[in-house]
Amino acid sequence: MTQNELKRNCLIGLALAAFALPLVVSSPTYLHILIMLFLFAYMTTSWNLVGGFAGVLPLGHSVFVGIGAYTSTVLWLQYGVSPWIGMIIGGLLSAAVGYLIGKPTLKMRGAYFALSTMAFVEGVRVMVENIDMLGPFKLNGPRGLNIPPLPAQEAGFWSFQFATKEPYYYIALTMLILVLALTYYISHSKFGYYLKSGGEEPEAAQALGVNVASCKVAANVLSAFLTSLAGTFLAQLTLFIYPKSVLTLDLSFELAFIALIGGRGSIAGPVIGALLLRPVSEFSRIYFSDTLPGLHLIILGVVLIVVMLYQPRGLTEPLLGLFDRITAGFIRKPQEDTV
Amino acid sequence: MSLLEIQDMTMQFGGLVAVDNLSLSIEKGKILGLIGPNGAGKSTAFNCVAGVYTPTKGKILFDGEDVTSHKPWDLCKKGMGRTFQIVKPFAALTAMENVMVGAFATTDNRDKAAAKAADVMDMLGLGDKKDLKPGAMTIADRKCLEIAKALATNPKLLLLDEVMAGLRPTEVDEIIEIIRTLKAKGMTIFVIEHIMRAIMALSDEIVVIQFGKKICQGEPEAVACDEKVIKAYLGDDYAPA
Repeated sequence: MTQNELKRNCLIGLALAAFALPLVVSSPTYLHILIMLFLFAYMTTSWNLVGGFAGVLPLGHSVFVGIGAYTSTVLWLQYGVSPWIGMIIGGLLSAAVGYLIGKPTLKMRGAYFALSTMAFVEGVRVMVENIDMLGPFKLNGPRGLNIPPLPAQEAGFWSFQFATKEPYYYIALTMLILVLALTYYISHSKFGYYLKSGGEEPEAAQALGVNVASCKVAANVLSAFLTSLAGTFLAQLTLFIYPKSVLTLDLSFELAFIALIGGRGSIAGPVIGALLLRPVSEFSRIYFSDTLPGLHLIILGVVLIVVMLYQPRGLTEPLLGLFDRITAGFIRKPQEDTV
Repeated sequence: MSLLEIQDMTMQFGGLVAVDNLSLSIEKGKILGLIGPNGAGKSTAFNCVAGVYTPTKGKILFDGEDVTSHKPWDLCKKGMGRTFQIVKPFAALTAMENVMVGAFATTDNRDKAAAKAADVMDMLGLGDKKDLKPGAMTIADRKCLEIAKALATNPKLLLLDEVMAGLRPTEVDEIIEIIRTLKAKGMTIFVIEHIMRAIMALSDEIVVIQFGKKICQGEPEAVACDEKVIKAYLGDDYAPA
């Protein structure tokens, strides 16, 4: 068994274990924490397409979460459209917005791009907070939208509402696995190589035939679409959305923190980052939300500073290195036996 | 027929005229050297040709087609490959992956790109360094990697911007050998270089520019004896009386 085969087998094992986990963990609280973990890993992986591979730092991805959440919720509440369809419509809407804001902003360098995305999400939040009716659509301003829970017998797949946490768990897990597979595919394709090269040395990449700007815009569109799906999921999970819950900088920052600490531009980075950081967020919210609200952001900030000082490329590389060292012993043995 | 033709090209940055009415042409299969003192406008001229800047005035014809305001990535697809004076490797990718980015200009298929990259690297003697990150390579190898990336795009014309600067004499010899090999294969090469020994040995023709203006053009031996060239490089005192 080679190192790569071992890694593949470990991944398959992990995925199977994740699928079997609800058989062991039945507490809704813990399931909820796991669901949020998968959801954040999913969103950060989507973020990573732009923030990692394309080498820019988007700090406004919550705008796509918000569009996803609001689109599907409005369509469900006013027109009875299944949130699954609303999810896709929201995704397409986000993709369009991703194109429109990506086109001018992705030409900017470094902090200017990050600032413009922050400004955009703040602008959208303030607007939504001040708009009760957007044409025929009821946004309900700062009070947000409440999805009335259906009685247990009516809830189900079509309405994207479930009486227990398990279905949400499996949906989130499936979404995460699919987006990871997509990322893996992209990072091994021409598009992935173009994104990575354009992110690192735009001039050199252009000279090699890479239209850096349009690659970045394409990545932003795809990333916006994928992030938006998580917004719909979040709305259906919590059944209550308001501007400060889905259209906030906190959410955008947390995605960036997870990616930076886990490892930008690596496939495993967002998952490792979410595994490490989500519990911090959840438990600090459970235990300190009334005394020290926002404590999780302070902790994340400190962790980020430490990681950037000692492992500027994130924790994924050293962790994979450790894995290789530990498993090297196991792999050598059977080879020695055969010789 | 000339592969590249520059007609009356001027590049102005505000009040500064970096390239002034420069005209030159390169025949297919030949090597043209562009030399001049520091700040003469060599790299600016290169950047105009490669599409980084759009010249203020003048025309650039490539393979008979007017490509004056074309973008770098389009020019690359048309068959113009270039290196940078300061090497720009993609640090997070391996050497092989660096070259593959170039190879993707000719194919969408990853395996074909990998095969092409491997070919180019073997040809340039980088065969055993495919899995290294650029940061772990010597400066000579990184310069070679620049050439490999450009070659992987299947160029008709190769623009080399000081690929030998900062190398030891033996390494310079290796690069000279590589450029000769490329020429033997029919590649047309436009080269900026400060190392006289190299440019004299390689060029079929040399163009000398100073303050953006062409002051001399001709065969290497003729250019080396030209009064204006000696003045430009060494000052008035050294000009033959």
